[in-house]
Amino acid sequence: MHIWKKWLTPVLVYLSAALVMAYASFRLPTLLPGDFVTAMYAGSDVTLNAEQEASLRSFYQDTQGFPEYLHNLATLDWGYSHAFMAPVSQLFLQALPWTLLLMGTAHVLSTLLGFFLGVEAAWRRGSLMEKAGVGMMTVLEGIPEICSGVLLLLVFALSLGWFPAAGAQMAYADHTTGQWLVDVALHLTLPLATLILAYLPGNFLLARAGMVMVLESFFVVTARAKGLPPRRVRYAHAARNALLPLVTRFGLRFAFMITGALVVETIFSYPGLGTLLFNAIAMRDLPLVQGIVLFSAIMVLVANLGMEYVYTLLDPRVGHAS
Amino acid sequence: MHLDMGGQIGKDPWFITGISILLLLGFLAVAGPFLVPYDPYDISFSPLDPPSADHWLGTNDGGMDILSELVFSLRNTVIFGITAGTAGLVLGVITGLFSAWAGGWADQVVMRLADVVLALPSVMVLILLAAFFQPSPVVLALALACLAWPTTARGVRAQALTLKNSLHIKAAQRMGGSGRYIIARHLMPELFPLYLINFAAKTRMAVFMEASLAFLGLFDPGEKSLGLMINYALQYYYLDIWYNWLMPPILLLSLLIMGATFVTVSLEKIFDPRLRKTV
Repeated sequence: MHIWKKWLTPVLVYLSAALVMAYASFRLPTLLPGDFVTAMYAGSDVTLNAEQEASLRSFYQDTQGFPEYLHNLATLDWGYSHAFMAPVSQLFLQALPWTLLLMGTAHVLSTLLGFFLGVEAAWRRGSLMEKAGVGMMTVLEGIPEICSGVLLLLVFALSLGWFPAAGAQMAYADHTTGQWLVDVALHLTLPLATLILAYLPGNFLLARAGMVMVLESFFVVTARAKGLPPRRVRYAHAARNALLPLVTRFGLRFAFMITGALVVETIFSYPGLGTLLFNAIAMRDLPLVQGIVLFSAIMVLVANLGMEYVYTLLDPRVGHAS
Repeated sequence: MHLDMGGQIGKDPWFITGISILLLLGFLAVAGPFLVPYDPYDISFSPLDPPSADHWLGTNDGGMDILSELVFSLRNTVIFGITAGTAGLVLGVITGLFSAWAGGWADQVVMRLADVVLALPSVMVLILLAAFFQPSPVVLALALACLAWPTTARGVRAQALTLKNSLHIKAAQRMGGSGRYIIARHLMPELFPLYLINFAAKTRMAVFMEASLAFLGLFDPGEKSLGLMINYALQYYYLDIWYNWLMPPILLLSLLIMGATFVTVSLEKIFDPRLRKTV
């Protein structure tokens, strides 16, 4: 009973958000005036033959209802991309692992690093190093991914040539598993560095602010008075309480992160969802744009719902409240 | 909230730096188009020229003067940010105040709606809108505002709820002040610092979003925007154009977002009593 009550609101919220997205994606094309299939593809790089045009038109303008549309979505029937000559779901699933690899690694690394640095900075509050660190992170927070990404590309890929400038792996290379891993890691370095530069400052500043507040509370004073070693006070007692704001803010930051990942992938031509979306937009390939947008949005929603769960695990007070 | 915030904020180096950057860029955006010698849409110059006395930053692939293009792009990006920031703030303040003052089921409805809108990844909605309808940037800015109000509404509602139970509001009610009077005369002005923080944060987010959307190719390719300029310049990376074509929009965009970040961080520090201690 209790569990049901606790989960009802968030599940309902995210479910309605998903339905809003799906409905918008279902309804928007039909709201366009006139024969938009001809209009859209007239300015595109894709030339349609009569049969393809008919299939597109029926995809967008047939009389199927919303429930049927949802059923199609669930069964991976997301339409056909005439630009790439492949089903949308296939293209999406091909690109997805690369995005997950890039974003997942960037997120885990920047959270861990930001948390650790933030805690250490708060502990050394007032020192020269801490002030320099906070200043540097605030400046970094002001540099958008577009800018840092392009700069890294210019310097380390095009000018110095230390890292590959595009792609996720060497094409047609005859690699052993070890060589392949090195190759993938090399390709990953620059986009990953860009994303970490973008995510790290926020995590750092948040962890530091939380930690500074926690350090003033009485239980930390007690822990210190007991004569516990400083590292134990810092991590076992204080830091775990400073972790919470980092997790709560995750949901709010997630939409930003998706935007950043789209841009960064495009800059480095990384073959993930961002690049696929970029190409789909450039070629006005609407079913593909629709599929990518809808399913990335649903992934974001699922991730956020998951975070709510993690949050109650980390802070039992949340579960007991309300 | 009746404290000497003005004096404090004037001494914060972050605020001074941030606001100076923003004022400088604001001046460029307002006056720049009258100062630059060429029309940014004029394609009559020879394309891809390096910088010269006539064209300080050279010309782009279409034979347009890059300096003129830069100034107009900055203006468009700033207009987008301010439009989205203002509209988002107004929407958020209205819904937040209404929610706090009305209470009961109206409050519940508005706040649950806010939850749903907050859960929507706004960039995805904007991409969908832009891909299908190709709206003008102003419409996109307003759409962004419609997706960005919940954070403001939540903050305003929380503050208004504590204010609602304070003595002077109770007194005003006892003396017969109507709801509208109390909201306009007491609640709204007292939350002023909150508006500043939210406006700065929203504008920053909108500028970032505009650059990203333009960069992804979702704006009319004829528009002038910093994101679009970076997109175009990057296609010619193999030519030696990075210092006169690629870097200027990158620098301006970074400065713009940095200025807004400094101001936001500084305002948050000074007006949030909990964060104040952490400075």
